[in-house]
This record gives sequence, structure tokens and C-alpha cells, in this order.
Amino acid sequence: MDEHDLQLRSSTYSLFVELGRAPTAIEVADSDGLSPADVVGGWQRLHEQHALVLDPATAEIRMANPFSAVPTAHRVLAKSRWWYANCAWDAFGICAALHTDGRIETSCPDCGAALNVEVRDQRPDDESLLFHCLVPAARWWDDIVFT
Amino acid sequence: MNLFRSEEHISRWLGGRAPGATIPVGKLNELAHAWWSDRLLPEWQPHTREQNQAILDRLGLVREFWRLP
Repeated sequence: MDEHDLQLRSSTYSLFVELGRAPTAIEVADSDGLSPADVVGGWQRLHEQHALVLDPATAEIRMANPFSAVPTAHRVLAKSRWWYANCAWDAFGICAALHTDGRIETSCPDCGAALNVEVRDQRPDDESLLFHCLVPAARWWDDIVFT
Repeated sequence: MNLFRSEEHISRWLGGRAPGATIPVGKLNELAHAWWSDRLLPEWQPHTREQNQAILDRLGLVREFWRLP
């Protein structure tokens, strides 16, 4: 990953946190003094290196891991704002990335019961819950949206 | 990659599919901090495969299931 792509990635993530949503290519282009085509080209390289995930149909950001650009079943309240995470791992990852405590709201995929977890002093308040990962690590990026 | 209320709920949800890996939420929280805490730092650099594998190993996630490609 060269310096230009590192800068583009950093700007993209900074804008995501500032806006509370995925930035558009035009917004990042305005921020970095690039053309939108340059931004999309850079995003494509970052996508290929698993530094973010693009929607194949639109070339817009789908994931800036651990953040999700689209609504999911994993919501996180952190730094006075609600975020969507890509999965339960990423939900805790949002608190970690923002270096803050927070509240995670999801549900048990089996019974649908609400599972709400407060993260206080970097620890979950309910240690009884379990995390299940279905896909082996070797195949996580075969289909990262499914993973 | 989901949270569940118990092993019973995981088993019922799997419905005969082969299980993956289950860890306590406290361990997941540790994993998330090790994996993601540098993500917004200005000096962020991509993790190498070896760095990520070392995170998993350090947390005791050493089964073949956790072996990165």
C-alpha cells in the first residue's frame, strides 16, 4: 500500500467518523484535492487489499471495518452517536477503534431475543454471552459480507 | 459472526450445520481491541498476516479454525 493510498484510506476513515456515515467519493475528493475518479480508483485498490469493502454494484463503500455503511443487526452507541457494525466482533471493534466505552445492541439469531451489552472500562457488562464464528479464518475473505 | 444467549441457542441455530468456533464475549472483546484499536490512528499501517495470526495466537485461538490463509 503506497503513501497515496494510505492517505486516501486515512481521509476516508476520518470522514466516516466525522460524518457518522460512509463518505461519498465526491466528499473525499473535495477533502483531499483529488478527482472523484481518483478516489474510486484508490478505493478499488484498498478494496483489493482488504483495507475497506466496496459495494460491487455501485463502487460506494460497504464496509470500512469495523464500521458498516449499511444498516445491520449490530448497532453501537459510542461517542454520542449510533453506528452500524458488520458483525458482533466489529461491534466491539467500534468501541475499540473509537477508544471509548459504549452500548451494543443486537439479537440472538436463534430466538430473536434482544442482547444489549454495555461496554464499561473496556469490558462487557454481561460475560455470559457467547460469540459464534461460522466461517474458518482461512475463508473469511472469500465472501466477507457473508462472513 | 453473532452473539448468542447460550450453547443451546447456537446448536439450535446451526440446525445440523457444522459448527464453527465459539468463544466467550469477554474473549471477543479482547480480540476486538487487539484487532481494531489502531484502525483510526493517523500512523495506521496494514496488519501483516503474521501480525494478525499473532493476535489470535496470543488470545489462545490456536485451533486450525483460526489459522489465517
